[in-house]
Amino acid sequence: MLNIPRPNIGKVSVLVAILAWLALLFVDITRIFETVNRLEPNMAPQVSYVLEILFFITVYLFYNYSINKNEDLDFLDLIWRGASTGLLATSVTLIINFFYQMLGEGRLASDPLLRNFFYHINFAMISLFLISCSLLWKHLILYQKSKRVVQQWQAFEILMLISMFFIFFNENNLDYSFLFGFVFLTFFSASLSVNLKWIPYLTFKEKWKSILFFVIILVCTSFLFFELLSYSGTNLTFVNLTDNLFLMGLFAFVFIYSLFSFLVTLFNLPTSSVFEQKLVEAINFQRLSQSIKPGQDETQVLDILIDSSMSAAYADAGWLELLDSEDNKVIIQERFINEEVREELYALISNTKPFSEFNWKASDNDSRKYQGKIPHNIFKSALMMPLVVNTKTIGRLFLVKEVKDGFNKEMINIINTFVGQACISVENYRLLNEAIKNERYKEELKIAQRVQRSLLPTELHHDEYFEISGFSEAADEVGGDYYETKEISSNLFAIIIGDVSGKGTSAAFNMSQMKGIFHSLVQLNPSPREFLAKANIALSQCLERNHFITTAYYLVDTKNKKIRYSRAGHCPTLFYDASLESCEYMSLDGLGLGMVRNALYENYIHEAEFGFENGDVLLLYTDGIIEAKNESGVEFGYERLKKTLNDLHQFSAMEIQKKILENIYGFVGQNSMPDDDFSLLVIKFNL
Amino acid sequence: MMLKIEKNIENDHSVLSLIGEIDASNSVELDEVILEMVQGGVCNILVDCSMLEYISSAGLGVFMSYLEEFQEKQITLVIFGLKEKVFQVFNILGLDQLIKIRDTKQDALDEIL
Repeated sequence: MLNIPRPNIGKVSVLVAILAWLALLFVDITRIFETVNRLEPNMAPQVSYVLEILFFITVYLFYNYSINKNEDLDFLDLIWRGASTGLLATSVTLIINFFYQMLGEGRLASDPLLRNFFYHINFAMISLFLISCSLLWKHLILYQKSKRVVQQWQAFEILMLISMFFIFFNENNLDYSFLFGFVFLTFFSASLSVNLKWIPYLTFKEKWKSILFFVIILVCTSFLFFELLSYSGTNLTFVNLTDNLFLMGLFAFVFIYSLFSFLVTLFNLPTSSVFEQKLVEAINFQRLSQSIKPGQDETQVLDILIDSSMSAAYADAGWLELLDSEDNKVIIQERFINEEVREELYALISNTKPFSEFNWKASDNDSRKYQGKIPHNIFKSALMMPLVVNTKTIGRLFLVKEVKDGFNKEMINIINTFVGQACISVENYRLLNEAIKNERYKEELKIAQRVQRSLLPTELHHDEYFEISGFSEAADEVGGDYYETKEISSNLFAIIIGDVSGKGTSAAFNMSQMKGIFHSLVQLNPSPREFLAKANIALSQCLERNHFITTAYYLVDTKNKKIRYSRAGHCPTLFYDASLESCEYMSLDGLGLGMVRNALYENYIHEAEFGFENGDVLLLYTDGIIEAKNESGVEFGYERLKKTLNDLHQFSAMEIQKKILENIYGFVGQNSMPDDDFSLLVIKFNL
Repeated sequence: MMLKIEKNIENDHSVLSLIGEIDASNSVELDEVILEMVQGGVCNILVDCSMLEYISSAGLGVFMSYLEEFQEKQITLVIFGLKEKVFQVFNILGLDQLIKIRDTKQDALDEIL
């Protein structure tokens, strides 16, 4: 049946407060009854005092609990709570007064018991009002508290606690000790009352409201105070509860703090718009500095930029001009201005000093601001600020005002900060996008690399008369070197090596075209000269104007032990002749593919034939091998290559290839990266 | 890679001095200079390569790409003062068959008379 909740300070303290008050009422009324009936009073006044203190403390606990429970109350709510309690206490007092007015001079009007009953109600209401107000003021005082203020408040609370017990010592006499205590508490209250840090945070409207509430509280406090004084004046026989240092001290505290707050709020009214403005600027600044989230774009930041700049400068109109990716000027934000007026103003500003001095290419635009008069019939002054991202001027902010010299130093400074912050946000956003894009390009390049690797043959055609071994490495992810073999018929092999001009992606594309041409033409079994002539015709259609391909085409006839070949501007072939035990470069005129893009090309191409014997070595390579540089900038060169092959001729093709590479790497050194693509094809003849 | 291009107009011809190295990254500069000269209506171009240390295939591609246009507009291009190593590059590619290459400036001047 009876549901006992967990001990709840709020409810328990209310209950105890009510009981204490009832007990107090009972004790006092009993005492008066005894006095009136001339009975021997057996109730010491100390009992009343103890109950009174109990009442104060429980009311304090209740309000402390109830205010802390509503942590999120704002200042205005707090003040209104105080004002409403004050109004309630005042109304109760007024009703009681009115009631006595109605009674007139009747017997009931002078009845001490009834009067005492109302006196106790009055006392309770005043105590509630004062204690609640003090606790509300505590919240205001401790706003943005420092350690010193907290200690000061704690000292005040202790003083108030002591003042409750002062009554035992003083026995309700308004003597000097009472006066001393009262003056002391008053000064202490005044020193606490300078803590008014909450006031600037009120908006203009809130300040008006709080002023109204403080007036209510001040009126109620004064009224209740004089009401209590009138009680002290009467000669009705009862224990005086209200000539109490605690209550008087609270009166002083509540009144002084309200008065200070009222005055400070009043004097803060004219400047509150400035504080509000600064607060808005701070918030805008924070919004600008938040990086743009993925999915949003720059316009959002620029939107905030123009709005905050306009409000900071109280500008009447404004717009933002931005360069798009093709460097065309576009207007992306317009405020309080139509296109016609804006164009008119734009032309006007562009032709007026100092605005006409603006230069899109200037490197120090980020530190420049342009402001001045403009000869327009509505707008009299203008401000122009360049937006600079990563040393490049990306746009301009324009603000105009209807008054002359409308932009002061403070406004320009804050707008400059806004512009700077917006530019940083835009820059971050662009860098992020670029990073994402680069990441994607890297992925694409990796794919290209894989594809290109697959264009180079993994197995090279040959028969028992020769071994062949090839190697290729690109300077970048992809390269333009190419080699391949094809068995045209038994004992007849086609071998090609090529080098596309330039390097990187464009070279790689051309290299894949070369591969296509090789596979098409080789089926027709052309002579080397024919092959190059036809390849030139095909490539002339698709190579860029300033690109060419060098290549050499070999037909190896293992039956007759003869090689026929033609050279299209490719590096001369190195041939080791086992019978002579020496290496020679074979010279043969030729011209790179794509260098002459007509029928005349054929005239530049020649064909030669030579025989091979067991132990001969043919070395095909690209210019990357010759031009490989060591740390001091010396090229590997033709002579070094020749000597290397001379030393290695006795090894197998695979070994020769590996050792030549080792030699080149050894020459270049560990720290150098290859400058160019380089490839190597070693053919060693056996039998 | 550093490349410096100097352009001098002497009487009826322009002398282009190439100083340093030409590779894929700066061949565009050479292209721009030659394009400017061609559009400016120059008749004879002498290219002084005595200070040219290296030319990559991309650089050679620039010369190559103008050959047809030179022929159409009857512009004579003569390269002189090539270092042995750089000449070898022209030679291997066969470009020496398409462009007049002379040893000295005087030889080159004789060519355009």
